[in-house]
Amino acid sequence: MKAIALLIAALAAGALPLLTDSNYILGIAVSAAIYTVAAAALNLIYGYTGLLSFAQLGFWGIGGYAAALTVMSFGGTFWQGLLWAALVNAALALAIGYPTLRTGRHAFVIVTLTFALLVNLIARDWVELTRGPLGIPGLPAPSVLGFEFHSTARFYWIAWGYAVLALGGLYALCSSRIGRTLVAIKQNEPLVRAQGISPMPYKLAAFAVSAAVTGTAGGIFAFHLRIIDPLFLDFYYMQTFLIMVIIGGAGSFWGVVAAGVALSALPEVLRFSTDFRMIIYGLVLVVAMLVMPNGIAGWLQQRRLARLRAALQ
Amino acid sequence: MKPLLEVRGLRKSYAGVHAVDDVSFAVVPGSITGLIGPNGSGKSTAIDCIAGFQKSDAGRVFLDGAEITGRAAHEVARAGLMRTFQTVRIYERLSLRDNLAIAAQQFDDAGWRDELLRTARYRRAVAAAEARARELIELVGLTRYAEAEAGILSYGQKKLVALAAALMPRPRIVVLDEPVAGVNPTRIRDVEAVLRQLNAAGETFLIVEHNVEFITNLCHHVIVLDQGRKLAEGTAAEIHADPRVLEAYLGIAPEADDAQRRGAA
Ligand SMILES: Nc1ncnc2c1ncn2[C@@H]1O[C@H](COP(=O)(O)OP(=O)(O)O)[C@@H](O)[C@H]1O
Ligand SMILES: [Mg+2]
Repeated sequence: MKAIALLIAALAAGALPLLTDSNYILGIAVSAAIYTVAAAALNLIYGYTGLLSFAQLGFWGIGGYAAALTVMSFGGTFWQGLLWAALVNAALALAIGYPTLRTGRHAFVIVTLTFALLVNLIARDWVELTRGPLGIPGLPAPSVLGFEFHSTARFYWIAWGYAVLALGGLYALCSSRIGRTLVAIKQNEPLVRAQGISPMPYKLAAFAVSAAVTGTAGGIFAFHLRIIDPLFLDFYYMQTFLIMVIIGGAGSFWGVVAAGVALSALPEVLRFSTDFRMIIYGLVLVVAMLVMPNGIAGWLQQRRLARLRAALQ
Repeated sequence: MKPLLEVRGLRKSYAGVHAVDDVSFAVVPGSITGLIGPNGSGKSTAIDCIAGFQKSDAGRVFLDGAEITGRAAHEVARAGLMRTFQTVRIYERLSLRDNLAIAAQQFDDAGWRDELLRTARYRRAVAAAEARARELIELVGLTRYAEAEAGILSYGQKKLVALAAALMPRPRIVVLDEPVAGVNPTRIRDVEAVLRQLNAAGETFLIVEHNVEFITNLCHHVIVLDQGRKLAEGTAAEIHADPRVLEAYLGIAPEADDAQRRGAA
């Protein structure tokens, strides 16, 4: 039943280019798909495992640069670029995670933040590789077997296909016992160890998967923008992913997906008043946090629990 | 008989405090062994050292003849020793059923590939864990809460969840740190019955507890710690008659009783 509903939702989203040929709307839809995937990846490491990672921004940027450089400097295809975006980031996550994750949650936050800042610096200052502030413009449209994804409508298929694939994979992971174990690690790590489970491989795997998924999303988004420069590492992106996770409810898979889609559209819906758009956006977020401090999913859960308690009285 | 758990010369000090000071004892397979002593006598520290939650300064620990000294906590658990914690530990935001299912998942044959692909082996493991969880939840009398978040339970009920979780994988030995502290007195009788029933089926227990009646009723063998040292050991009757034990407990026993009553209220 649930599977059928999900299938219908996925197909409906895929049919968007048949319903509209507005590049404006399709562009928002590309962003929504990509941001939602990045938020779901952050949800895996933060919402499920309880490790607040600011490295997501670094993974996002490295993914973008890896894909762009594969095509522009190393003569590879877009698809190979995405593969590198995933692999490089997974390897980096293991390299950062292995020494850091044994030290504790706070150290992890600091180290990941430092990593994000470092990537920012490299993007700006390693001019031979990244061309510095000028960036790398003119990223070509991806193609497969002669079919070019040159229009926004066509590019949307890539974003949509990746979102379906990545969200499907993440959902399979999060809804399995592995996902439940990640939640258990977040809630009570000593108990997890007492039950014969070593937390380290779980944390590392979650971090690496999260990094690869975010990096690939960054790679796709760079080719959507057709240019990559240090602005790609603006903290705006990290903030966007984090807000989606918090509003959706950290640790709730569909809550975060729903928030990802809704919050991608919200600033655009508010366009009727250009001056106050971002202020209203901020107000909506603040009110949402006051009313639902644990996100949409947390709020629903609270109501369910209240009913349960009442039933058990 | 060859001991199931053997501790030799265990030592642990914290900044000059000898929490555990040269303690040796053995737990015979199929027994219920009690570990008692006044507050601060080193019982919890001994358990932490045995189970790999603290590094001991000296001493060796053997589980069924194999040395487990210095092994990581999860390895000790995999070797067949499950422990509970004095300050209750459960997954507050998960259902009782999930709380119990997690406790067994490291011990079945479903690997991560099975989990992602939802293979028959995975489904079989999940079904087996669910059946066992249902059985144990019923055993501790919490069936009506099976689907509820564990966080809504009372402290005593949480202790029962922790106990049931420790039993999930049918470990070789279950080490319980104050399993009935805070548990409703009528429920304590039930816990006694449950432990006796499991013990009759072959399960071995090492139990730390302040409730003298509980220990006396259940334990075949009792070890007494005082200020980190082993003061005495023997049957419950022998321990009761030992003047050194009475002395160690004088002035402390009523206090422990108070704590018991407050916890139960
Ligand atoms: N983590 C710790 N740091 C410092 N001292 C500790 C620690 N844990 C226990 N102790 C000390 O070790 C002694 C034994 O404590 P504990 O093992 O908890 O006793 P029991 O479980 O018998 O009540 C006490 O004096 C206690 O204060
Ligand atoms: Mg103790």
